[in-house]
Amino acid sequence: MLFGKDRKATKPDAIIQQLMRIVGQKEVLYLQEDLISYECDGYTMSKGMPKAVVFVNNTKQVSDVVKYLNKQGIPYIARGAGTGLSGGATPLGGEVLISLVRMKKMLHLDLENRKAVVEPGYINLKLTQSISDKGYYYAPDPSSQYACTIGGNVAENSGGAHCLKYGVTTNHILGLEVVLPTGEIIELGEDGVPDRPGYDLLGLLTGSEGTLGIVTKITVKVLKNPEAKKTVLAYFDDIADASQAVSEIIAAGIIPAALEMMDQIAIEGVESAAYPVGHPRDIAAFLLIEVDGVAAGIEDQIDEILTVCKDNQVREVKVARDEAERGLWWANRKMGFGAMGAISPDYLVQDGVIPRTRLPEVLTKIAEISKKYDLRIANIFHAGDGNLHPLILFDARIPGQSERASSAGSACLKVCADVGGSITGEHGVGIEKSDEMRFIFHDDEIEAQTKIRAVFNPDDRLNPGKLFPQPGRCVEVKQEMSKEGL
Amino acid sequence: MADNKGRLVDLLSKDNVESGAPCETKRLGNYLWDDPPDENKWADCVHCGMCLEACPTYQETGEEQQSPRGRVYLIKAVAEGKIDVNDAFAKPVFDCLDCRACETACPADVQVGGLIEEARGQIRQALPLTGFAGVFSRTVLRGIFPHQNRINTLGGLMRFYQKSGMQQLARKSGVLRIMPTHLKDMEAILPEVGKPVQGRFPDVVPAEGIPKQRVAILTGCIMDVMFSDVNEATIRVLTHNGFEVGLPKRQGCCGALHVHAGERETGKKLAKQNIEAFKEYDKVLVNAAGCGCALQEYPELFKDDPDMLPLAEAFSSKVEDVSKFLYDNDFKRPTAELKTKITYHDACHLAHGQGVRFEPRHILSEIPGVEMVDLPDADRCCGSAGIYNLTHPEMAGKLLDRKIDDIPEQVEMVSMGNPGCMLQIAMGVTKYGRSEKVVHTVQLLDWAYEKEKSATTS
Ligand SMILES: Cc1cc2nc3c(=O)[nH]c(=O)nc-3n(C[C@H](O)[C@H](O)[C@H](O)COP(=O)(O)OP(=O)(O)OC[C@H]3O[C@@H](n4cnc5c(N)ncnc54)[C@H](O)[C@@H]3O)c2cc1C
Ligand code: SF4
Ligand code: SF4
Ligand code: SF4
Repeated sequence: MLFGKDRKATKPDAIIQQLMRIVGQKEVLYLQEDLISYECDGYTMSKGMPKAVVFVNNTKQVSDVVKYLNKQGIPYIARGAGTGLSGGATPLGGEVLISLVRMKKMLHLDLENRKAVVEPGYINLKLTQSISDKGYYYAPDPSSQYACTIGGNVAENSGGAHCLKYGVTTNHILGLEVVLPTGEIIELGEDGVPDRPGYDLLGLLTGSEGTLGIVTKITVKVLKNPEAKKTVLAYFDDIADASQAVSEIIAAGIIPAALEMMDQIAIEGVESAAYPVGHPRDIAAFLLIEVDGVAAGIEDQIDEILTVCKDNQVREVKVARDEAERGLWWANRKMGFGAMGAISPDYLVQDGVIPRTRLPEVLTKIAEISKKYDLRIANIFHAGDGNLHPLILFDARIPGQSERASSAGSACLKVCADVGGSITGEHGVGIEKSDEMRFIFHDDEIEAQTKIRAVFNPDDRLNPGKLFPQPGRCVEVKQEMSKEGL
Repeated sequence: MADNKGRLVDLLSKDNVESGAPCETKRLGNYLWDDPPDENKWADCVHCGMCLEACPTYQETGEEQQSPRGRVYLIKAVAEGKIDVNDAFAKPVFDCLDCRACETACPADVQVGGLIEEARGQIRQALPLTGFAGVFSRTVLRGIFPHQNRINTLGGLMRFYQKSGMQQLARKSGVLRIMPTHLKDMEAILPEVGKPVQGRFPDVVPAEGIPKQRVAILTGCIMDVMFSDVNEATIRVLTHNGFEVGLPKRQGCCGALHVHAGERETGKKLAKQNIEAFKEYDKVLVNAAGCGCALQEYPELFKDDPDMLPLAEAFSSKVEDVSKFLYDNDFKRPTAELKTKITYHDACHLAHGQGVRFEPRHILSEIPGVEMVDLPDADRCCGSAGIYNLTHPEMAGKLLDRKIDDIPEQVEMVSMGNPGCMLQIAMGVTKYGRSEKVVHTVQLLDWAYEKEKSATTS
C-alpha cells in the first residue's frame, strides 16, 4: 500500500464489536470517513449519519443482526444501491444501515415456468442481460436500472418507461422471503400460484418502502421477448398538441409499451449529457413511443400513431431505423435525471401523478411555480400513465436556493393532487414527501395506515420516521400551505 | 509570435519543483495546500448513482466510499470541512484504479478522474510517505522516471540480467522465492527487453514514398525500454502509410504515474518538458493509452496556472492515439493474410479515457484472415492500472482473474493498445497456463504489412 502509516485506530464500541462478531470484521463500517458517503441516497436534500453500515451475506445474518439491534433498541434501515429519490435509505441519524449489496446472486432460473429467484442486491439490468440471449427479459425498467437493486425495486414498487403496458414491479413479483422486525424469517407467495386466499401480503410488502420488513429473496416473473418492436420519435411545437396526441393514441385502442414525453429544458439537459441524439432545441416537447408484440399488427399500429401525430401538428416524426438508433434514443431518455447535472449543480425531482388529459393545464401551473420561485423546472413525463417528473434545478451553494427548491417541489405536488392526481408515482414517499401525504390523505386515513405498520413494525425501529408525517409537523405544514395560498 | 516564443521558453524553464512553488496558497475547507480539487467538478455530480456498477472497486466491495459517487462525496466533504485529509480518507482515494469507467457511465460528465488526482495531490502533501513507499516514491518516481538516461540504464541492466544468464540463475537459485508473489509473477513474464528506438533510429524517419504529413511519436519511457518492438512497429506502420515520423530527443516520461500517485509537481515538470519537446510538431501520436490520456490531460494539471494553461491546451489538442489516427487517415489495407483468431481488450485509458473503441477493432478486422471474437465486458479494467498492480495486488489480482476468465477459449491472440495492460494480461495468461499471445494492435498491422512486403520482394 502506498500509505505512510496505518489507519488511526478508532476503537469500535461494544455494539460495533458485537455486529462484527455476527457478520465478520470486514463487513462493518464505522469510521466517520467511511460512513459519510452513506449520509444520503439519490435524494440529497436531507442527510443523516448512520451509526454503522453492516454488509450482510445471507438471510440468517440479516435475522441475527435485526434480533441483536432490537435487543439493544437501535433503529436500522435496509439499503440497496442508494439510488432512491425520496430519502428512503437515508438515516435520520444514528441508525444502523443494513446493506444488501453483497447478496447479489441469482439463485435459480426456471425459464420453462418463466421465473427467476434472485437475492435482493441483484442489479435490475443484470437480470435482463443474463437471459436476453435466451429470448427473455425482466419487464420493470426504471431509468436507474444500471445500478438499482431488485430489493430496492420491491421496496419502492418501482416503475419504468415500459410499465404502461406491462405494469410496475408489483405485477412481476411471485414470491418474497422477508425478515420481519422481530428477526423472524417468513416466505410470502407460493411458487407460481397467482392468487391465494387470504390477505395479499405480497402486495402489501411491495411498495412498503422498507418499513415492514427486509426482503432477502425475490421470485420474479420473466417474460419472453416480444416478436417485434418499433419506436417512434415525434417533435411538437406545442405541448397541448403533444398531449392531445397521447390521448388520441390511447383512445385508438393502442397500448404502447412505452409513451414518454420530455419538454424543452429536459431536452437541453439530455442533449448536453452523455448520449446526445441531436433533438432540435426549439421544439416544445418530444414524444417517444414504442409498440411491441406479434409482428403482424405492429405496422398498422405504427401507421395509426404516425397519422395521429400528423393530425396534431407534429413538426417532424420518424421511426427508428435500426436497433442502434432505437438504443440511442432510449439511452438519451434514460439519462434524463442525471443529465440535469450537466446543466445545473443540483436538481430535485418530483414524482406526481395526474390524469393524462390535464397535462397542459398542469404544465402551465408548473411554469408559474417556476417563475414564482425563480428556479428553472424541466419536465419528464411518463405520458402514458400520467406520471409526471418535474425536475427543479437549483444550486445548493447559493443560500436560500435549497429551501426554495423544496417549496417549489411541494407546490408542484399540490398542483398534481388538486387535479385529482397523487404525490408519488414510483419514487416513494420516504423522508421527502411524508408531509405531503396530507395532500391526499386525511388524518384518520394516515392513522389507519400507521396501525398496519405497527402490526409488523410496532416500535417503528425499522426505517423510522419515513413514509408518514411525524405527528407534530402536520400543523406546520397546514400553516405553510395556507400561507402559500395553496 | 516571437514574443510568444520567448514567453514559452520562459515559462517552460521556470521549474516550480526545485524552487519550491512560491505561488499563493488557495485554501478550500480542509484542503490546506496548493492546487486543491476543483469545486466545479463535484458540483456537476447529482448523486444519482448511475456510475456505481461501472466501477470495478464498487463491483468487488459494494462499499459506497469505494464507488465513484462515494469518492466524489468524500472529496467534497473535505472541502466542506466535514472530514480531514487523513489515512481513512486516503484509502478510498488511492484504491481508485483511475480507470475512468465511471466517466463513461456518468450522465452529468463528472470528471471523477481529475478530482481523484487532485485529491491525491493534497494527500501526498498532507501525509508525506514514509518507509518503503517513501523510498519507492523518491527513488523510482522522482529519481528515475524523470530521467530517460536512467531508465535506459535500468533497461540495459535488465537486458544484461536476461541475456547473461543471471535471470536463469536467479530463477534456479530461489532468490525469487523471497519476493512477494505478484512481483514474482511479474518477473516471469517480463518481456524480452529490446533496445530503445531512441538512438537507434534517426530523429526523423522518412516516409515511404511521398510524405503526406509530418508527425511525432511519444516513444515513452518504459515503453521504449520494455516494448521497443511496439515502438518499432509503430514507426514502420506510420512510414508505410506515408508519414514522416519524428522522434523528438528531449521528450520524457508523460508523468501519468506521478499524477496518479499524487506527485503533481513532478508531473507538471514532466509536462513542461514534453510541451517544449514537441513544440515543432502539430501532431503527437501515442501508442500507449495511459500515456496518451495523460498528455491529453495536461491542462488539468495547470488549471490554476493561467500562463501555462493555454500552452497545455494547445499541446493536448495535438495528441492522438495512433489507432485513431490511422483510422482517420484511411490506413493502407494490408493484402497479406494473417490466419488467426483474435479478441480485443479495451484499455481503460483508450476506451474510457479517450473514447477510442471502434477504431482499433476496425483496423484488426480489415486485416485479411483475422477473425474477431468478442471479449465480454471488454472495457472492464484488467487491474494493471499503472502501478496499481504493485500497490494493490489483491484487488488487481481479482480483476486480472476475471479478465482471463473472460478471454474466449478459442482465440490465439489478445490485442490491445496499452503496454500496461499487455504486461498485466501476459502475466495472467502465464499464471493460468494459457497460450494466448498478447499483442499491440499496431503490431498486428505491422506483421501484415511486413508479410505483404516480403511476398512482393521474393
Ligand atoms: C437517475 C435515476 C432514475 C430513476 N428512475 C426511476 C424510474 O424510472 N422509476 C422508478 O420507479 N424509480 C426510479 N428511480 C428511483 C430508484 O432508483 C428506485 O426507487 C429504486 O428502486 C431504488 O433501488 P435501490 O436499490 O437504489 O434502493 P435504495 O435507494 O437503497 O432503497 C430504497 C428504499 O428501499 C428500501 N430497501 C432497499 N432494499 C431493501 C430490501 N432488500 N428490503 C426492504 N427494503 C429495502 C430502503 O430502505 C429504502 O427505503 C430513479 C433514480 C435515479 C437516481
Ligand atoms: S476511475 Fe475506475 S476505480 Fe476509480 S472511481 Fe472511477 S470507475 Fe471506480
Ligand atoms: S459521478 Fe455522475 S453518475 Fe456518479 S453519482 Fe455523480 S452524477 Fe451520478
Ligand atoms: S492497464 Fe489497461 S485495463 Fe488496466 S488500467 Fe490501464 S488501461 Fe486500464
